[in-house]
Amino acid sequence: MSLYNFKKIMVVPPAKDFIDIMLSKTQRKTPTVVHKGYKISRIRAFYTRKVKYTQQNFHDRLSQIIQDFPKLDDVHPFYADLMNVLYDKDHYKLALGQLNTARHLIDNVAKDYVRLLKYGDSLYRCKQLKKAALGRMATILKKQASNLTYLEQVRQHLSRLPTIDPYSRTIIICGFPNVGKSSFINKITRADVEVQPYAFTTKSLYVGHTDYKYLRWQVIDTPGILDHPLEERNVIEMQAITALAHLRSCVLYFMDISEQCGHSIEEQVQLFESIKPLFTNKPLILAINKIDIIGLEDLSEEKREIITKLQEDKNVPVMFTSTVSEEGVMEVKSEACERLLSYRVEQKMRTKKVDNILNRLHVAEPKPRDDKVRAPCIPEQALARLEMKAEKAERKRKLERDIEEEMGDDYTLDLQKNYTEIPEEERYDAIPEFWDGHNIADYIDPDIFSKLEELEREEGIREEGGVYALPDMTMDETLKEIREMAKQIRGKRFELRDDRRLASKKNKPAIPRHKQPKVRDRSVAKLRETMQNLGVDMSGTENANFTKSVVDLRRGVVAVGTKELKKPLLDKESSAIVKRTGQPLKRAPARDTMGVKNVAMKKKAQLMAKRDIAKKVTRLGLKGEADRFIGTKMPKHLYSGKRGTGKTDRR
Amino acid sequence: MALRVQFENNDDIGVFSKLTNAYCLVAVGGSEAFYSVYESELAETIPVVHASIGGCRIIGRLTVGNRNGLLVPHSTTDVELQHLRNTLPDSVKIQRVEERLSALGNVIACNDYVALVHPDLDKETEEIIGDVLKVEVFRQTIAETPLVGSYAVLSNLGGMVHPKTSIQDQDELSSLLQVPLVAGTVNRGSDVLAAGMVVNDWLSFVGMSSTATEMFVIERAFKLNQSGPAVLGRAKERAALIEGMS
Repeated sequence: MSLYNFKKIMVVPPAKDFIDIMLSKTQRKTPTVVHKGYKISRIRAFYTRKVKYTQQNFHDRLSQIIQDFPKLDDVHPFYADLMNVLYDKDHYKLALGQLNTARHLIDNVAKDYVRLLKYGDSLYRCKQLKKAALGRMATILKKQASNLTYLEQVRQHLSRLPTIDPYSRTIIICGFPNVGKSSFINKITRADVEVQPYAFTTKSLYVGHTDYKYLRWQVIDTPGILDHPLEERNVIEMQAITALAHLRSCVLYFMDISEQCGHSIEEQVQLFESIKPLFTNKPLILAINKIDIIGLEDLSEEKREIITKLQEDKNVPVMFTSTVSEEGVMEVKSEACERLLSYRVEQKMRTKKVDNILNRLHVAEPKPRDDKVRAPCIPEQALARLEMKAEKAERKRKLERDIEEEMGDDYTLDLQKNYTEIPEEERYDAIPEFWDGHNIADYIDPDIFSKLEELEREEGIREEGGVYALPDMTMDETLKEIREMAKQIRGKRFELRDDRRLASKKNKPAIPRHKQPKVRDRSVAKLRETMQNLGVDMSGTENANFTKSVVDLRRGVVAVGTKELKKPLLDKESSAIVKRTGQPLKRAPARDTMGVKNVAMKKKAQLMAKRDIAKKVTRLGLKGEADRFIGTKMPKHLYSGKRGTGKTDRR
Repeated sequence: MALRVQFENNDDIGVFSKLTNAYCLVAVGGSEAFYSVYESELAETIPVVHASIGGCRIIGRLTVGNRNGLLVPHSTTDVELQHLRNTLPDSVKIQRVEERLSALGNVIACNDYVALVHPDLDKETEEIIGDVLKVEVFRQTIAETPLVGSYAVLSNLGGMVHPKTSIQDQDELSSLLQVPLVAGTVNRGSDVLAAGMVVNDWLSFVGMSSTATEMFVIERAFKLNQSGPAVLGRAKERAALIEGMS
C-alpha cells in the first residue's frame, strides 16, 4: 500500500567483491577453450565476446544500483529532507553521479578494446588485449570503492526506516527529551518503542498505527528536541524537525509538568514558542504529561500561571495526561484524531474529490405516498436473542458443523431431519420420482382431482358456448374466381419458366467441334438401292416426294442432291472440320478484330500497332517485339537484409 | 448486527444464501462451516434450510422471496421443490415461475411490502410476484442498469443501492419503496451489493472482505444496531466516511 518502499533496493557489494562477481561471471558464462590453430577471426571473436560480456555485466549492475536508489528530486519532500539529514544530500548525489561516470568509462574502455581486438593478429596478442581491457574495467571500479561502501550503508539504513506514508492521517508526537513521548505512543499503538529514564532514548523516527472511527491512523514518535537554533541541531533532532515540517499532520506537543526530564516548565514553553512556526496550518494539542507525579494544583504559583496562560489560547487545547496511570491518554488520542479529521475533511471539501462520493453520504428519506404501515417484522425470539447476546449469556447450540466434526468422514448431510411436519416414522420414506408412469410431483396436491374437475367443467362450458367452434370457411363467388385466376397464373408462370430453361443455350448438349456431327445414315440413293434389291421398281421416282428435301440436323432444310453437296467449301482459316454444307463453324472473332468495324479500320489498327512496337523496340534497344526486357534484375529493396534460412548470393 | 462470512473462500455470500424474515436458504457446500454460521445465529428463530435449485448452488441469485412467499425459477426440479415445501413454514407460499429471465434474484429486489423488478420481466411473472409475495411491484432500473436484484438490497427498515446511483434517483426510489436508502458498497468496493450481502430486519451477513467502514454503513442503513434512524448525515460520522472513502 505504501507509496515508498526502500526495502527492495539490491545489495551493493563492496568494490572487491563486485569485481570478483563480474570476472567470475565472465569466466562461467563465456566459452573458455581456444587454440592458436584456430582461424584468427575466430580467436578475435572469442576474446571480443569476453570483453563485451564483462562490460555488459558491469553496465547492468551499475545501472541497477543507480536506478534502485531513490532520486531525491522525485521523492516526497519529507523523505528528501530526511535523507539529506541522515545521509547528506551532496554526498549521496555525488556517489550516484560517480557510479554513473564509472559506468560510462567502462563502456568506453570496452569500446576501445573491442576496436583494438580487430587488429589482434595472434592468440597471444588478443589475449593480452582482453586482459588489459578487463583490468582497466576493474581498476575503474576499484576507484569507486568508497562510494560503494557508502551506498551500501545508505541502503541498509534506508531499508530499516519506518514506512511512513506522507499522505495519510498522521499524528506527530514531539517535545523535549524524556517527557514521555515514547510511553504515550506505546500506550495508544502497538509500536514497541524503547522507554528509558534518560534523554535521547529515541534516536530516530518510530511509527505505530492506531484505530479510530474505522480509520487507520499513523502515529509518529520523534526524538526529543532541545531549544537551540536550527543550525546547531544534531542529526537526531533534525529528524523530528523534518517530520514536523513536511508531514500534514496533527501535532501533540508534550510537556513534563513534574520537570523530571531536567527542563523547567518555562524552558518547555519557550521551546514550544520557538518551534511554533513548524505548527502553522496544523491542528495542535498541548499535552501536559506526568500528572500522576504532581498535579496542577500542587504547582507553585508562577508555574501555574504559565500554564493558565497557555490555556487562554482557544485554538490550542491543553490536556493533562499520565501515561503511568493512563489518565487522559485516550482523551488526548481522540481529541487529536478528531481535530485532524475535521481539518482534513475541511481541506478535502475544497477539492473536487468529495463530489464523487457525495451521493454515498446521502440518506434518501422516503416521502410518504399512502397511509399504509410498513412495519418491520422481527420475531420475538430474534429480539430476545439479541438481548441475550448483549448480556453475553449465549446458549450454545449443537451446530451442524459440530456434528460434522464429531462424525468426521462418516458425516452425510441429512436433509430430511428438518421435515418437522412429517411424523418421524414417515420422514425417511423413499419416495420414487415416477410411479406407474406418473410423475409423483404432479399429484402432490391433495385437491388435484377436484381442481381438474373444476377445470374440465369450465372447459365444457366454454365448448358449449362455442369458444372453440371453427369459423365458417365457405367461399363466395368472387373469392372462387380469384382463386381460379391465381391458379392459372401460377400454372402459366411455371410453364414460362420451363420454356425459358429449354430455350437457353446453357441447357443444350454441346457437341465438340472436332467431332463430325452424326449424320443420319439414310439417303435417297441407299433407299433406292435397298428397295431395288428387294425387288421394287424404283423407276420414275426421280421427282418423287421422298427425294425432295431432307432436314439437316443443325443447318435447317437443304435440298437433297444439290450441287453444293458435292464440293463443299472449305474454311480457309483453319483446318477445323467443316460441315458438309461447307460453312465454317461459328466461333468467337479474333481479338484483334474485335470491335473493329470493317477491313479498312482493321488495317489502320494493325499499322498503328506495328509503329508502336517499333518505337518501343528502338527505345529500349531490343531485338524485336518478343525480346523480354527487365530493367533492374534484382531490385535491392527486395533482396537486401537477412532472409529466413540459409544464405543467398546477395545480402 | 452484521457478520462477516465466507462461502468456501468466496466473498459473494449473497449468491449462495437467501435471507428473509421468515426463513433462510443456504447452499449445500463442501463443509458445514458456512451453514453453521447462519444456523448459530438464526436456527432458533427461523428455519435455516439447505437448498439447491436445478442442481445449482447459486440459490441466492436464482430465487427471490420474502416473509410471505418464495419464487423459484423453472429450472427447479420437483424433488427440490418438495424439499422446500417440507422444510419451509406453511405461511410461506412457494411458486415455480416460468420466466425467461430465470435468475430471479438478479431481476427482482423486494422486501415484505414492495418489489423492484427488471423492466423486461413478463407481465405474468409480475402478477405472480404481486400475488405470492404480496408486494407492490415497480418496474425500475438502478444506476442505469436493469438488474435491480443485483444492485439493490432491501429490508423493511432500509435499503442499499449501487454506489453510482445519483442523489435524485435515490430520493425517487426511496419514496417508491418507502424505506430510507443509502448508496454503498460491500466486499472492499464491490458494487454488486446483493452478491456481497444478505439482510433481513434484524440481522445481516456480509462478505469476509468487507471493510469496517462498509459494515458501519450497512449497520446504519439497515438499522441493525438499534440506535435509531440511519444517520450517515451526522457531522461526526460523515467526516470519518469522507476520510475513509476518498
